[in-house]
Amino acid sequence: MNNKFPEVKPDGFTPEEAAVTMRVRVFVNMRWFAILAIIFAAVIASTVFHIGFSPLPVYIICIFLAIYNAVLWRLTRNLTSEQTGFVVPRVKHYLYTNVFIDLTMLIVLIHYTGGIENPFIFLLILYVILAGIGLSHKTTYFIATGAFLMVGVMVTLEYTGLISHINLEGFMPPDQYKQASYIVAILVALAVLLYSSTYLTTAVSGELRKRQRQVVALSQQLLVEKETELDVSAKEIDKLEEEKKRFLSFLGMAAHDLKAPLAAIQGFLWLILTGYTGKISDKQRDMLDRSSRRINDLVNLISDLLDIPRIEAGQLVQEMKDVSLNELIKRCADDFSTVAKEKGLDLNVEVPETMAKIKGSDIRLRQVVTNLLSNALNYTLWGSVTIRATETELEQRVEVMDTGIGIPPQELPKLFYDFFRGSNVSVKGTGLGLAISKRIIEAHGGKIWAESPCPETNKGSKFIFTIPGKS
Amino acid sequence: MSVKVLIIDDDPDILIALTLILESQGYQVMTARDGLEGLGRVKMDVPDLMILDLMMPRMDGFAVCKELQKPEWTKYHHIPKLILTSVREEASRRRYELEMGVTLGVDSYMEKPVHPDVLLENVGRLLKSK
Repeated sequence: MNNKFPEVKPDGFTPEEAAVTMRVRVFVNMRWFAILAIIFAAVIASTVFHIGFSPLPVYIICIFLAIYNAVLWRLTRNLTSEQTGFVVPRVKHYLYTNVFIDLTMLIVLIHYTGGIENPFIFLLILYVILAGIGLSHKTTYFIATGAFLMVGVMVTLEYTGLISHINLEGFMPPDQYKQASYIVAILVALAVLLYSSTYLTTAVSGELRKRQRQVVALSQQLLVEKETELDVSAKEIDKLEEEKKRFLSFLGMAAHDLKAPLAAIQGFLWLILTGYTGKISDKQRDMLDRSSRRINDLVNLISDLLDIPRIEAGQLVQEMKDVSLNELIKRCADDFSTVAKEKGLDLNVEVPETMAKIKGSDIRLRQVVTNLLSNALNYTLWGSVTIRATETELEQRVEVMDTGIGIPPQELPKLFYDFFRGSNVSVKGTGLGLAISKRIIEAHGGKIWAESPCPETNKGSKFIFTIPGKS
Repeated sequence: MSVKVLIIDDDPDILIALTLILESQGYQVMTARDGLEGLGRVKMDVPDLMILDLMMPRMDGFAVCKELQKPEWTKYHHIPKLILTSVREEASRRRYELEMGVTLGVDSYMEKPVHPDVLLENVGRLLKSK
């Protein structure tokens, strides 16, 4: 059952209520069938076999049974609107009442159709089997005993003449009901059959009901277990989320506190270098310039180191908005135009006029493009650097190609590792630029890789990254 | 009459450096060590430009900007603001943009350390666009 709460049935019954109600309904249906069968049997007996008995009591009993069954049918139909908790006792009450009425009617019917002479007396066994399927085994034994006692009382009363015996003329000899051996044989057979069928049906149905209860108990236990597991997991997720928040705020504080003194130092150095504090000698300028550059490297290293966990903690998603890659690339390339000119390099920007917007972090993507352009310009002594953007429906692709020193093939796989620096480079860097770029691109769901030499020019290297489209 | 610039930053060294740069260009500089003090300064003497640090004790830069958006500060709405931050964090910028409902121009958001030339350029541009 894929219902989340198996104990609730569509009509609002618990499994116990549903089962009990169902049993009463089965009994009602069986009773309609029995009434028809009795009338049919009576008609056949008197018309086909010409057995002499008065059918009138039979019909009267059948009419009574029909009325009583109709009432019961109405009662069970109205049960749905009952308040929970009242259904089970009420239905049990119906059951006991109608078992008693059924048995009494059956005995009366048998009395009017020959008493002990009537072989249909064994129908009592069918009744006990039915009861055994639907009711507890104690009740079934009680019913079997009740049925047998009622038969005994009827036979005794007829035998002693306290009530008149009705003979089935043409079917049994008229004094059969006085023959002790016959009566004893029938009663013994009836008793044996009644109790053995009670034993058999209650054993089988009892086992079935036990299993059913076990299944219900088991599924409820599983449900409770799953709910507890879910609870525990939810709490763990909350805890992790809380820890992540604390970690990120710690990083924010660390970044702030590490950079604040450096920013102050750098500010003062720049003040001195730009002449706000008076003239300085060339030697002093050179030393201060070097200090300023080292401070700058340190600031960048701290920013880079603190960036990594932030990106890995998924901070980027919060920064994402609509970004036009072509505009972003143009802006970045503009920043490098002076550097390129100073080095005598051609900086080619090949981007379409318009490009679909993507979901991304503007500042982080700019960081990647800046990193790739800066690397390309740093490691190229002559020739050109080209940045190109293309788009398909699925993704946008950015390529940065240079005619520089290239990358030794054995180093290509290690290029994006933390702190990795090429063996053929002399230019300073933290060795974190590409490693961070890779994290940024992957946080956008994209890919970044390098080829060397660049396939188009057979010179230098080529860096490519892709970002999936917005849809 | 000289142009008045209010600098709000909790780092005294930054205040000294910025004051030196701005005063050298003839700006009249006022300083405050946190947001609350800064707001008090604004009431006392309306500045032509505010330079704000984001992370500060007592009242941070965000809170100052938010406070200034309230109706009782209407006459101070026009004051241009230059945000200075020591953290390269796009998230804080996005937060600022989302909460203030404005898009920060490149001129009005700078990361420390700030080179004197860049600072003066941005200050000049902001005052002109006022």
